[in-house]
Amino acid sequence: MDSDSSSKSPDTMTNFTLLAPTTASVLSPRLGSLALTGRKSIPTPNYIPLTSRGVVSHISHDLLRDQTAIGSLYFGLEDFIERQQRKGTVPIYNIPTSSHESALRKFTCFPEELVLVLGPRRVPAIACPPDNTPNSIAIATSVGFRQLDSNQFVEGVQKLRPDIVVGMADIVLGRQPGLKRQGKMVDRTHAYTMHATDQLYGSLVPEQNRSTASYFAPLLPLENTQQSLYLEELEGELRPHVSGLALYESASLAIVPESLGNLPRMLLNEPATPHDILREVSLGADVVTIPFIGDASDGGIALDFVFSPSETSIAEPTPLALDLWSSEYTTDTSPLREQCECYTCRNHHRAYIHHLLSAKEMLAWTLLQVHNYHTMDVFFSKIRESIQRGAFESDAQAFHRLYAAELPDRTGQGPRLRGHHVSASGPHQPRRNPRAWGRLDDLQFSESPSAVATPDTGADGLEERGFAEKEHS
Amino acid sequence: MSTGSPPTSAPRKSMPSALKLDLHAKCSTTKARASTLHLPHGDVPLPIFMPVATQASLKGLTYDQLKQTGCMLCLNNTYHLGLKPGQAVLDAVGGAHKLQGWDRNILTDSGGFQMVSLLKLATVTEEGVRFLSPHDGSPMLLTPEHSISLQNSIGSDIIMQLDDVIATTSPDHQRIHEAMERSVRWLDRCIDAHKYPDRQNLFCIIQGGLDLDLRKKCCEEMVARDTPGIAIGGLSGGEEKQSFCQVVDTCTSLLPDHKPRYVMGVGYPEDLIVGVALGADMFDCVWPTRTARFGNAVVPSGTLNMRNQAFAEDYGPVQEGCTCTICRPKQQGGLGVTRSYLHHLATKETVGAHLLTIHNVHYLLSLMGSARQAILEDRFPAFLREFFGKLYGEKTNIPSWVVEALRGVGVDLMVD
Repeated sequence: MDSDSSSKSPDTMTNFTLLAPTTASVLSPRLGSLALTGRKSIPTPNYIPLTSRGVVSHISHDLLRDQTAIGSLYFGLEDFIERQQRKGTVPIYNIPTSSHESALRKFTCFPEELVLVLGPRRVPAIACPPDNTPNSIAIATSVGFRQLDSNQFVEGVQKLRPDIVVGMADIVLGRQPGLKRQGKMVDRTHAYTMHATDQLYGSLVPEQNRSTASYFAPLLPLENTQQSLYLEELEGELRPHVSGLALYESASLAIVPESLGNLPRMLLNEPATPHDILREVSLGADVVTIPFIGDASDGGIALDFVFSPSETSIAEPTPLALDLWSSEYTTDTSPLREQCECYTCRNHHRAYIHHLLSAKEMLAWTLLQVHNYHTMDVFFSKIRESIQRGAFESDAQAFHRLYAAELPDRTGQGPRLRGHHVSASGPHQPRRNPRAWGRLDDLQFSESPSAVATPDTGADGLEERGFAEKEHS
Repeated sequence: MSTGSPPTSAPRKSMPSALKLDLHAKCSTTKARASTLHLPHGDVPLPIFMPVATQASLKGLTYDQLKQTGCMLCLNNTYHLGLKPGQAVLDAVGGAHKLQGWDRNILTDSGGFQMVSLLKLATVTEEGVRFLSPHDGSPMLLTPEHSISLQNSIGSDIIMQLDDVIATTSPDHQRIHEAMERSVRWLDRCIDAHKYPDRQNLFCIIQGGLDLDLRKKCCEEMVARDTPGIAIGGLSGGEEKQSFCQVVDTCTSLLPDHKPRYVMGVGYPEDLIVGVALGADMFDCVWPTRTARFGNAVVPSGTLNMRNQAFAEDYGPVQEGCTCTICRPKQQGGLGVTRSYLHHLATKETVGAHLLTIHNVHYLLSLMGSARQAILEDRFPAFLREFFGKLYGEKTNIPSWVVEALRGVGVDLMVD
C-alpha cells in the first residue's frame, strides 16, 4: 500500500489505510481499513455499536459472540465510575490484569479481537444541568450528575487501556451555544486535548507507562475559522499523538484540514435514518454511531432496507422498517425480512416477535437487536462494495428514491427505562415509565408483577380466543 | 355434563401413551429413581428440573441459550398462552413449538392454578371455574374441556388435567374432600375431551390437601385411570414443609414404578433434592428465573444477591468451578463473567438478568444431573450429605423438616 495514504501514529498501534481513493480527500465517500494490533480490523465506512453500562442493550455476550458480527464497541467512562465520589473506589479500576491486558475488556468480558473505544460520555450523551468547566466536563452517572476533571479522565484511560480513546470535548448539549461560549468551547477543548495527550504520551512520561490507546481528538461542531488555533495545534505539535478525529456533526467533515485528511474520522452523532448515514458517508465519514438501532429495537421496530435496492420506480415509498406491534403480524409466520440471514430470521417469525412484544417479554428486544444490527452490517458492507465499484452516488440516489424519508413512529411500549437511559434535562418531564404499582390493597402479595397477567380483553375476546365461554343465564 | 356424584373407579376410555419411561436405577436406601423419559420431542433424563417459559419465552434467553443449559423440557403456562396469543393464533401458527421455535419438549399446566390465584372472584363449580371477565364484568366459565382444547392447540408434549385447586392450608375439610373428588371427575372429562392422546401425554393431578387418607384415595382413583404420567398437585401453597414431605412420600408409595411423577410448583434446591429422595421425578418453579431478575445467583451455599456492595470488587466467577456459559473462563469457551460485573449490571440492564438466568437454570439442571448420576452409581445418600453440608454448613443448621423427611427414607444427616 502506498505509504502516504497510511497514517501510522508513532505512539500507538493504529494503522488507518485509505483504499479508495488512496489520497486523502474531503467531501467524498472513501474506503479504508482501520487496523489495531491484535484486533479484528475494521473495514470502513462502518459503524461502532454503542454500549450502555458496558453491554450492548439486550444482547448477552454469548449471543454477541456467536450470532452477531459486532467487531467494535463504544463505551462511555461515565457508565463505570459512579462509586468514585461516594465510595472513593472504582471497581473497574481495581480488577487484576496482566501487564498489557485492558481492564475495560476484562471487566466487561468481551472477546480479545473486539476493538474497544472509550469516550468520556455515552453516545448519545444526556444533557447535564451542571455546566462544563475549564478543566472538567459534566457527566451523568447512574447515581447523578457530577464533574469529570481532565486528570480523572486520563486516569480512566490509563486504568482501562481501551484500544481507542475519544478525547474530552466541551460540547454544549440541548441548546445552541452563544458566541462567547463557542469561544470557550474551543479554548477548553484545546486545553483538554493538550493535557490528555501530554499525560498519556508526553516525553516526560516514562516509555513503559505511555498509553497504547489511539487518541481520537475532538473537532468541535463549529465553523472552521472559530477553531483555527486548535486545528493548527492538531496539525502541528499535537499531530504525533493524534491517531484519528472525533466529530460531533456531519458538517464538521467539511472543515477537516488537508494535512489531517488521512486520519480516520469517527462521527459521534445521531443520524435519524439510513438516508442520513448515506449523507455522512458521502461526505467522507469513516466510522459512525447509530443510536437509532437500539431505539428501533426498543420500540418493536425491525429495520427493513437494503443498499442498494434493485427496484427503482415505485409509486409509494417503501417503508424503512416494520412495526412489529402492529396486529397485522399476529399470525404472520414469515421472517422479519425474506432472505435475511440473521439469527432471528433463521429461527423465528413475525408472529412470535409480535407475541413477545405484546406479552412484554424481554426476548422481543433481544431478537430485534440481533436483526437490526445484522441489517446495518449488511448495509455497510454494501456501501463499501458500492464505493469500490464507484457507484456510490447513484446507488445512494436510488436508495433515497425508493425508501420512505423517515422510520415509522413507534406505537408500542418499550422496556422499562432506567435513570442512565434517559435525559433529565428539564423540570416537568412526563413519566418515563407507566406506573407498575397501584394502591397497596390491589397488590398481589404472592406474585411479582411479572407473573400477574390480567386479561386485556373483554368477555367476547376471551371467548373468541377459546379461553373460556360466556355464561348465558 | 357430570354431576356431583362420586367418581366411578373404572376409566371411561383407555389411555394411549405418547411416552415411555426407562427406569435405570433405584437408590438402594432412599426412594430416589434415575430414569429416562422418552417424549415426542426428545429424551429427558429424570429426575429433572423444568424451567418455566411462562409466555413462550424463557425470560430473555434464546432457545439456543436454553439448550446450552442442557434443558430438554420446559414449561409454558396455558392461562397465559390462552390470553396471549390465544387459541386462534396458536392454531394458525401450528402450536407452541412453532410459535417459539423450540424443538424440544414442552409441558403445559391446565391454567386452573393461575385462574384461581390471579383472578378475583373466581369460584369453582362442578361445571368448571366461574369468573367475572375483568374488563366488562360478564360472567364466564372455564371448563376441563376448554383447558384440554387449549392445550391441544398448544400441542405441548405433556398436558395437565384441569383440577380443582384450593390452598392446602384451607381449614375447610369438607371443601378439600369435594375438591379431590371433583378433580377425579374432571380427569374423566379431560380424558374424554383429549383429542391427541397419541402425541400429547395427559397427566392426572393427585389432590387431597394435607389429608393423607384423601391423598391415598385420590391416588387409587387416578392410578386406575391409567394416564401416561402422574402429578402431585396442591402443594407449594405455603404449607408446612413437613406436611409437604408427608404428602409426597405417601403418594409416591402408591404410584406405579413405570410412570413419571411430577411434583408441581416446587421449588427451591433443597425441596427438589428432598423430593427426589422421596421418589419424585419432575419439578418446576419460576423461582430460579425470577430471582435472577432480582439480581440473585443460585449457588451451592444458597443464593447470592449480586446487588450487595460486597460483590462490587469481587472479581471471581459467580460459582467457582461451575460449567455454565457465564462462569466458565474465556479460555474454556465461556464468558468469564465476574460477580463484580454482575453487580455493575444487576437490575440496571436486561443483560444482567439474562446472564444470571443462564447461570441459575444451568445450576438447577446440573444439580439434578448430579443427583441422577449419584443414583445411577448408588451413592445418593452420600450425595445428600454433601449437598446439605454445602447448603447449610453446620449440621445443626439443617432444617428439621429435611432431617425428618430423609430419616423417613433411611438417611440420617445428623449421623456421619
